[in-house]
Amino acid sequence: MIAVLRHTGWVLRGNPVTMVASFGALVLITLAIVGPWIVPYDPTASNVPNALMPPSAAHWFGTDQLGRDVFSRVIAATRLDLAIAASAVSLSFALGAMIGAFCGYTGGRLDRWVGRFVDVLMAFPLFVLAMAMVAALGNRVENIIYATAIINLPFYIRFARAEVNVRRNSGWVEAARASGNSHVRVVMLFLLPNVLPAMAVQISLNLGWAILNAAGLSFLGLGVKPPTPEWGIMVAEGARFITTGKWWLVVFPGAALMTAVLCFNLLGDGLRDILDPRMRT
Amino acid sequence: MGLAVSIARRAGKRVVSSLPALFGVVIFTFLLMRVLPGDPAIFFASGPNAGQAEIEQIRQQMGLDKPVPQQLLLYLRDIGTGNLGRSMTTGQPVVTDLVSRLPASLELTFVALMLALILALPLGILAALRPNSLIDNIVRMICTLGVCVPTFVSGLLFIFAFYYILGIAPDPTGRIDIFAGQPPTITGFLLIDAAVAGDWDAWRSAARQLILPACTMALFVLAPLARMTRASMLAVLTSDFVRTGEALGLSRRRVVLVYALRNALLPVLTIMGIVFSTMLGANVLVEKVFSWPGVASYALDALLSSDYAPVQGFVLLMATIFVMVNLTVDVLYGLADPRISIE
Amino acid sequence: MKLDRRNLLAGGAALATVPHLGREAFAQTRAETLRQVTGNAVNTLDPTMPGSTREAFGISVNIYDRLVSFGKKQTPAGWVFDPDNIRGELAEKVVTSADGMTFTFHLRRDAKFHDGTPVTAEDVKWSLDRAVSARSLAAAQIQTGSWTKPEQFKIIDQYTVEAKVDKPDRLALPNLCTLYCIIFNSKVVKSHATAADPWGQEWTKTNTAGSGAYILESFRPGEQVILRRNDAWNRSIDGKPAGFRRVICQTIPEAATRASLIEKGDADLSIDLAASDVATLASRGTVKVISTPQFNAFSMIAFNTQAAPFNNKKLRQAVAAALPYGNIFKAALFERGAPLFGANWTDTPPSGIFPQPMPLKQDVALARKLLAEAGFPNGLDTPFAFNVGAAAIAEPMAALIKESLAAINIRVDIQKLPDAQISTMVTEKKLPFFTETSIAWLPSTDYFFRNFFTGNQRWNYSSWDNAEIVALAEKARFEINAAEYEKLCKKMISILAEEVPVLLLWQPNQDAVMPKNVEGYVYGYHRQVDYRDMKRA
Repeated sequence: MIAVLRHTGWVLRGNPVTMVASFGALVLITLAIVGPWIVPYDPTASNVPNALMPPSAAHWFGTDQLGRDVFSRVIAATRLDLAIAASAVSLSFALGAMIGAFCGYTGGRLDRWVGRFVDVLMAFPLFVLAMAMVAALGNRVENIIYATAIINLPFYIRFARAEVNVRRNSGWVEAARASGNSHVRVVMLFLLPNVLPAMAVQISLNLGWAILNAAGLSFLGLGVKPPTPEWGIMVAEGARFITTGKWWLVVFPGAALMTAVLCFNLLGDGLRDILDPRMRT
Repeated sequence: MGLAVSIARRAGKRVVSSLPALFGVVIFTFLLMRVLPGDPAIFFASGPNAGQAEIEQIRQQMGLDKPVPQQLLLYLRDIGTGNLGRSMTTGQPVVTDLVSRLPASLELTFVALMLALILALPLGILAALRPNSLIDNIVRMICTLGVCVPTFVSGLLFIFAFYYILGIAPDPTGRIDIFAGQPPTITGFLLIDAAVAGDWDAWRSAARQLILPACTMALFVLAPLARMTRASMLAVLTSDFVRTGEALGLSRRRVVLVYALRNALLPVLTIMGIVFSTMLGANVLVEKVFSWPGVASYALDALLSSDYAPVQGFVLLMATIFVMVNLTVDVLYGLADPRISIE
Repeated sequence: MKLDRRNLLAGGAALATVPHLGREAFAQTRAETLRQVTGNAVNTLDPTMPGSTREAFGISVNIYDRLVSFGKKQTPAGWVFDPDNIRGELAEKVVTSADGMTFTFHLRRDAKFHDGTPVTAEDVKWSLDRAVSARSLAAAQIQTGSWTKPEQFKIIDQYTVEAKVDKPDRLALPNLCTLYCIIFNSKVVKSHATAADPWGQEWTKTNTAGSGAYILESFRPGEQVILRRNDAWNRSIDGKPAGFRRVICQTIPEAATRASLIEKGDADLSIDLAASDVATLASRGTVKVISTPQFNAFSMIAFNTQAAPFNNKKLRQAVAAALPYGNIFKAALFERGAPLFGANWTDTPPSGIFPQPMPLKQDVALARKLLAEAGFPNGLDTPFAFNVGAAAIAEPMAALIKESLAAINIRVDIQKLPDAQISTMVTEKKLPFFTETSIAWLPSTDYFFRNFFTGNQRWNYSSWDNAEIVALAEKARFEINAAEYEKLCKKMISILAEEVPVLLLWQPNQDAVMPKNVEGYVYGYHRQVDYRDMKRA
């Protein structure tokens, strides 16, 4: 454990980018937790006479079409955006890793059927699948999460399956089995934890990707419900005002969204360095 | 000769083994579309005075008055005969629509992929030659930044900057300047058609229209391509044969660009296949922003109006292309590295 | 040819002039071309096809002629169509019998279809027969003018047609002006008809056989339509062909892109820009903005009056008193329209015109009181739905509604539904509380009430079933005495104000934005562009 920490510290020192990214992620998570309490205005309270004001001392990021404070909305949106990304990714990770691990472990008919299913999913134009799912189930937050989770699923299944497959006949697995562990225990307690670190990289990258995915859905009108503050929907709405010079409506939420995605992506890269030093040097 | 035969056999096997997946895609899409809560008949009957009679009429016209299993059988039979139904949104047979729109999407995706490769390969190689250096980190930042901007935002910003403010890009309204003559359709790829017809004005016009949307897409896929180039280049550079080459006194440049690169490109090829399929399906945002008459925006419009046939046709098309691209990658792989086909 | 210096020079000069000439010709065609950019797409060339878009209606108006058409009148907001002034289009003269039941159309003898054959009574009869008999959108519309069967249309001679209704109907002639009653070249369409498709509807979807001011040059469904001027056309008021030699109608989904195209002068006309963009463009002054309140349309908030909870009149009145109409109008529409709220009358409206401003005002204390009287002292939960396609306006509206109703303890769940889904739910009467914008082609008060406030069809958004309204509307339809008609209309409007099955919000502007040198725009009943009136100064 100490060795891991030391290694982590060493990588972070040698890699300022990852350090900055970790710091950024930490700030984001903090904002997600305390955000709603520290904002200067109620993020959903309208003030129509004060609509579409450029940034000022009272409204740092200006106001939107309904006179709502953009700064408060950007901060308040952190929680929802991170929640969508985190739940979608953990859902597909939990399901995908489990299914993949069992398939890789047992092989045989189950493996073939799941493989077929994954093939079908992979052959789908995935973004269109997400659109169709949200359109079919309604644009509630949980449906956006499910849609994002489903389109991530095949990657996790494949990854976990491949990783478990190469390990299932290794000596320590045989040993675990020989010492009386059931197959389920072998998979859950020995094999899964073993492939977990490799998947962590993917998780971090996917977090950023899930945020982008939700933003794309918002742009097409399939995002979360108004007046809930969410970066994607704010960017999509703000984009309508670009040509009329109301830049603050797209720039601030856009910057927040970019920062979040950037942090998770760089963090994913950094994790790869920590877990698998060979990949980089 | 033996190589060709083995590749052909491999390809044949791949095609056959992908048929069940395609079939699954067809069934799944069909059912998914039936789950959509909108009733297309009602949507399309929404003229100022549409009543129950018109709605019934459209329902019949779309074959929706029959039970779902029967609809599915009819649909499968139609697919077998190459008929994908008729789009209510455009009033045309889906096959006609897809055939006329697919080249637009393919051309855009190809050009975007080319652009991305032209940038990603040198960047990836540079980064691999000096791992953890300043250059490596800069490359990493550039690529990661590209992935962080939603394509609809970068697209709109490009339009705002290059068309609206600077006025150097053409109006973002489709594949060719609407006042320029369209070259005669041969392949549907405007760049090729214009070149064949020798109509260089049209070629320039089409190319100008392509630049912004292609850049938007390229920016987004730069990262995976550059990252993979870097990783596989790193792996190759530390391998025995490169060290042998250097020991034998070959120039560094020759070793890197000829021997190492050739071997490092194989994994990049695989990633390219995946990137291409994803781009083709996911460029709906870019197509919307640039009014690009491609298949993805066609499918989106149909989806929002619960127009079943075009969405089903689109998904089937995408799945087929996915299979074909994988096949091509496979064959290329086999050509580049004959050892693989022996296994 | 020997290559010497002189030849080379000559060749070089020739090469140099070619692109130059080309550029001049290009400038010429550009000036003579009208490029309209729209958000939606033209999906058919036959406007009677089920599912045809509004943009398809607009194209058909310019390709086909009708027997008669609406004139135009000038208002403070610009030129608009005049439903009370009907003039001949293919008909040179219309004679209405004394009892108002027989119309005799004398056709122009010089009118020719695009293929050069003359327009005859036979074509007119066939086209009107098609409108009432074929399975299309036309039949349902024109029955509102008592046109229901082919026997009503009779050929008198080669250039005279007689049409008869059973009862004098104020909407009989106006219905023949609508774009569903276009006159086809019957020989051509018939030659493409089949046993299964006796009216050639498959063919007319993608082909044209008309006599109108423009000839189809190319049609790419969902992308663009290009029209070429018919130089022989003389059905305009001054007898001259249309002003533009070419018209391009192109689909550009992004509203912001359409706005920049117009501002940069790359496009010549758009009628569907975002309200915020229009406001900015107008203030910058680089383009011309003609804003016409859509006097035959209205935006509303509708309640389902047949199901709980909104079958409770007091509850509807409570909601009506709770909404911040002025703020909604400002934030959602940027005040680009004519408000239909905030009137000061109480019992009887000042006129029988509909839609007109209703006595809707925000009064939160009254709202609380009404809510308690309605039996909801603890408030209630309700969804509020709108269409994704209308999000630019409906989303800010929904947010304000949610906020203001929360103040009287009505908790709103905003539902943003895809287009197909919302039309299904509207038709099946499954939405309790939602917003819509609707339009009547033939804006007479009785027509509005019959279509939007009676019957069990989609357009009765609130599923309102009020026996008194049904009786009054039916009576008004056949009422010839103007004063009596006015009285009936006022009565209906005051019942509407009392019962509030819908809350009328506003008539949005049709904002036509064009470069300063484009002229002749007229607001049409179909809310599309009649290219025939337009020209470049």
